[in-house]
Amino acid sequence: MSEMRLDKWFLAILYLLAIVLLREWLLPVMELTQTGQISLFLIFIVIAFFLALQSVKWWISSLIKVLYIIWAIHYTFFEGILLTKETSTLLLEDFNSNFAVILVGNWSELSNPFRTMLFFILLWMTTYLIRHWIESRKSIFLFYSMTIIFIAIIDTFTAYSAKGSILIIMITGLLLLGLLTIPKLAEKHSLSISANKLVSISFPLVVILVISGVFMLTLPKLEPAWADPVPFLTSVVDGAGEGGNGEGISKTGYDPDDSRLGGPFIQDNTLIFEASVPKKQYWKIETKNTYTSKGWEQPSESSVITYSSNMGMGTFAESEGIISGESKIAQLNILQRFPFIVYPYGMMNVETDEDVQFMKLEMLEQYRTTIGDEPVSLDSYGIEYIEHDFSLKALRETTMDEVISLEDDFADYLQLPKELPERVGELAETITRSSESVYDKAKAIERYFGRNGFVYDQKNVAIPAEDQDYVDQFLFDSKSGYCDNFSTSMVVMLRTIGIPAKWVKGFAPGELGRNENKESVYKITNNEAHSWVEAFMPGIGWMPFEPTIGFGGASSIEYDIELQLDDPEVPEMPEPERKKLEQKSKPKKEDKKSAFDFNKNFDFLKQWIMDKKWILLAILSISTFLVAILYRSRRKWLPKLLVRYYRFGKNDWTKYAKQYVSLLKQLDRFGFKRKNGETLLKYAIQVDAYFGGDTMQNLTTAYEKGIYGENRTEHDWQRLQELWEHLINRTSD
Amino acid sequence: MQKELIGRVLNNIEKVMIGKRDIAELSMTALLAGGHVLLEDVPGVGKTMMVKALARSIGADFKRIQFTPDLLPSDVLGVSIYNPREMEFEFRPGPIMGNIILADEINRTSPKTQSALLEGMEESSVTIDGETMRIPQPFFVMATQNPIEYEGTYPLPEAQLDRFLFKLKMGYPTPREEIEVLRRAEQEIPIDNLETVITLDDLINLQHAVKDVVVSDAVKSYIVTCANETRNNPFVYLGVSPRGSLSLMKACQAYALLVGRMYVTPDDVQYLAPFVFGHRMILKPEAKYEGIESDEIIERILAKVSVPFDQVSIK
Repeated sequence: MSEMRLDKWFLAILYLLAIVLLREWLLPVMELTQTGQISLFLIFIVIAFFLALQSVKWWISSLIKVLYIIWAIHYTFFEGILLTKETSTLLLEDFNSNFAVILVGNWSELSNPFRTMLFFILLWMTTYLIRHWIESRKSIFLFYSMTIIFIAIIDTFTAYSAKGSILIIMITGLLLLGLLTIPKLAEKHSLSISANKLVSISFPLVVILVISGVFMLTLPKLEPAWADPVPFLTSVVDGAGEGGNGEGISKTGYDPDDSRLGGPFIQDNTLIFEASVPKKQYWKIETKNTYTSKGWEQPSESSVITYSSNMGMGTFAESEGIISGESKIAQLNILQRFPFIVYPYGMMNVETDEDVQFMKLEMLEQYRTTIGDEPVSLDSYGIEYIEHDFSLKALRETTMDEVISLEDDFADYLQLPKELPERVGELAETITRSSESVYDKAKAIERYFGRNGFVYDQKNVAIPAEDQDYVDQFLFDSKSGYCDNFSTSMVVMLRTIGIPAKWVKGFAPGELGRNENKESVYKITNNEAHSWVEAFMPGIGWMPFEPTIGFGGASSIEYDIELQLDDPEVPEMPEPERKKLEQKSKPKKEDKKSAFDFNKNFDFLKQWIMDKKWILLAILSISTFLVAILYRSRRKWLPKLLVRYYRFGKNDWTKYAKQYVSLLKQLDRFGFKRKNGETLLKYAIQVDAYFGGDTMQNLTTAYEKGIYGENRTEHDWQRLQELWEHLINRTSD
Repeated sequence: MQKELIGRVLNNIEKVMIGKRDIAELSMTALLAGGHVLLEDVPGVGKTMMVKALARSIGADFKRIQFTPDLLPSDVLGVSIYNPREMEFEFRPGPIMGNIILADEINRTSPKTQSALLEGMEESSVTIDGETMRIPQPFFVMATQNPIEYEGTYPLPEAQLDRFLFKLKMGYPTPREEIEVLRRAEQEIPIDNLETVITLDDLINLQHAVKDVVVSDAVKSYIVTCANETRNNPFVYLGVSPRGSLSLMKACQAYALLVGRMYVTPDDVQYLAPFVFGHRMILKPEAKYEGIESDEIIERILAKVSVPFDQVSIK
């Protein structure tokens, strides 16, 4: 292919744009490696392109560049404008020592002058590459896209901010691409374009880019659609969700640090563990007891009790108010491992394959998993637990007097910060005034949120200011938040009226799904990270409460006393049952069964699709891709198919007409575009001129005889068939 | 069979006419279709030679009328003169009463005389003194006109141009052809030795055979679409009349017969449309200002109208 010599001025503009792009590469490198003197490197690039533009002989330009490099190194490291004799000796020495270092492979010991020289050489090579792209390839897309990727990565993963940079890159890059397209097209059609023409052709492009650039600058910008991927990546790398907390946007997930609560959360579907368990369970990790106005802290642990696996824990204490049921096994399969366990209420024993010690931090109620003092992370274990209900009768009999008598023993669980605003306590007092028992008071607070305009929200969640209290802000000001807001507020309010309470962290029961072995399991993702409340019921023990709107109860109540209809304690019907009832009451009785089955099947299908969504998506995209490829390449394979297809059936006009039209289409795909007003014979002559012979003319004459002459019988079908096959086969080459 | 007969005529003409096979073919087409030809050209390019050759080849009666400004209708049609001996009027037929007529420089005579000829062409008969006389068949007029820019001419009215099936331009021969003309003229006057190759009856049979050439509905609709396009063209003041479409169809049939095909294809339509439609359209002044001629408009229309090519587009 003959190469077009680009106009010098045009080339100069292209080089200038390339220099701008290259500068965007240099800037982050300079900033991140804390190298100064960017102008020296830029001047080098400019010199390199200038020499290329003037078509200076290669040895002269090389000499100039080498001299410049030496001077630049001298200027930077030996602090002098003019080269002296010393420079050469110093440089030579430096060279020698560095070569030795390279030979040994001791890269970190390379001296700065030598590194600078290497960098200059790299730039030299880059300018060559860019010149090659611009001048002979006339395609800069690779460089352009690499620049964007580089800047995007640098911006995402390092401290460098590429905000203005990306704008410059977009504009200059697009301009470069667009301008290069002109000579590329000209070369393709072997046209020569005058300078005036070039200007007029590129003018609209420049105008469009300038206008869109102005728009880009001035229009308000949306927040990023995707969250910063760094926290997610680090969470994947580090294991259990170690999101930031308190400031900025965090991800949901278990986070050991709760000292600063508040701020928005975003969803994180990372699967943490799967639990095979007969009923929904709250999965507890730990409790925290010291409220600081901003969050929760845990003083250093005093007492540690060590249990061994398979030996029993005995944490479940029977009491009068608790009606214990059967012992059940929960099998947990942990995907994001951490060196402690999640456990349901009523845990009796942990079953593991190996011998594992569980260090229970008494106050934190966290069970750390160790093997011989070394922390380990288990990937699966079973927990034996006892299902239990709380007796409503016993709960109703609890009195505040009993609680007050315990005050000293429960000082830790009644702690409150001094600066807690008084109105929090006043509110708690108001809410609980009409309730008698400890249980009813706690229940009144638990229910308060659902009935007083509080909103569950993960995004619009305030962070308390320096002089603000987290609970106070939520209760009186923002009234919108997630589990931490609700649970912390309840704990604080319980404590203000003297009921001992703990703040519990763990995971909500999760969604029922299917694991790899098609067993139904509860899937607990980072979104299920949760916090709730435990309040002390005198004579019964710690009882979990769930103040967060939208979550089911954490404890089950045995309704062992007669309830009045207006009693607030009339059990609310669990959600699924209510749904069933609604379904039953629907008038379409005859449809009931099929509708139900359909729903079930649909759910199953949905579940199956959700389980396999990545595989399905992959299959779908691959097949789409394949179909697209097949469609694009149909010129190659379709004739073979057509030939086979048309071998069947009787040779007559109907078939021949179809064959001929299919041949026309195939020729069109081959590249013979028939114009609207072009007659078949003229077209045929053109086709025959390409393939040689007069096959197409013969076929066309026969076709015309049928279509225009209405003579559809006197044809040599056999011969036409042969001609047709011959021609259509040639189009597939 | 028919092709062979026509081929003989064409080859015969070619003996005296060097080059100009296309003009000979088109003249023959017009003759077969029963139409007439208007040749617009400068003198001396061989118009007379061609018509003479054609007349001789088919053994027809050849007449020539040189139109001048003082020519009267009776000079064309004939006149009744009193014969004192017979004591009655006697009709002296004019030159129009022949088979092949060359009407030279038709635009130099008065409109009255022009219309006498044109009426005869249209009706194939003349009426003189209340007596209608049939003109012998076959009847073929080849009229020539100097390009209208010449002074002292009476341009033919547009309505009368419609009487001609084709309007052709002959053009100069190529240098090589012209040398060949000179060389032949050295040896003999070729026209005098030209033989008759088919009889008049053969020709009349051929004219009848033209009617048997199939014009499919597709091609008919193609012709009509093209004609319609001339009526809707922004540069055209007056488009082609239905008579123009009919003429094109007949011409196509004749041409198909000439090339030995018993059906008309869109190629025939495209080839003949400029000759048939060209003089049947009146262009707007805008077209003239922009230097667009009717041939160019027809070319554009033909490029635009899609050629019927499959059963779907035909049904």
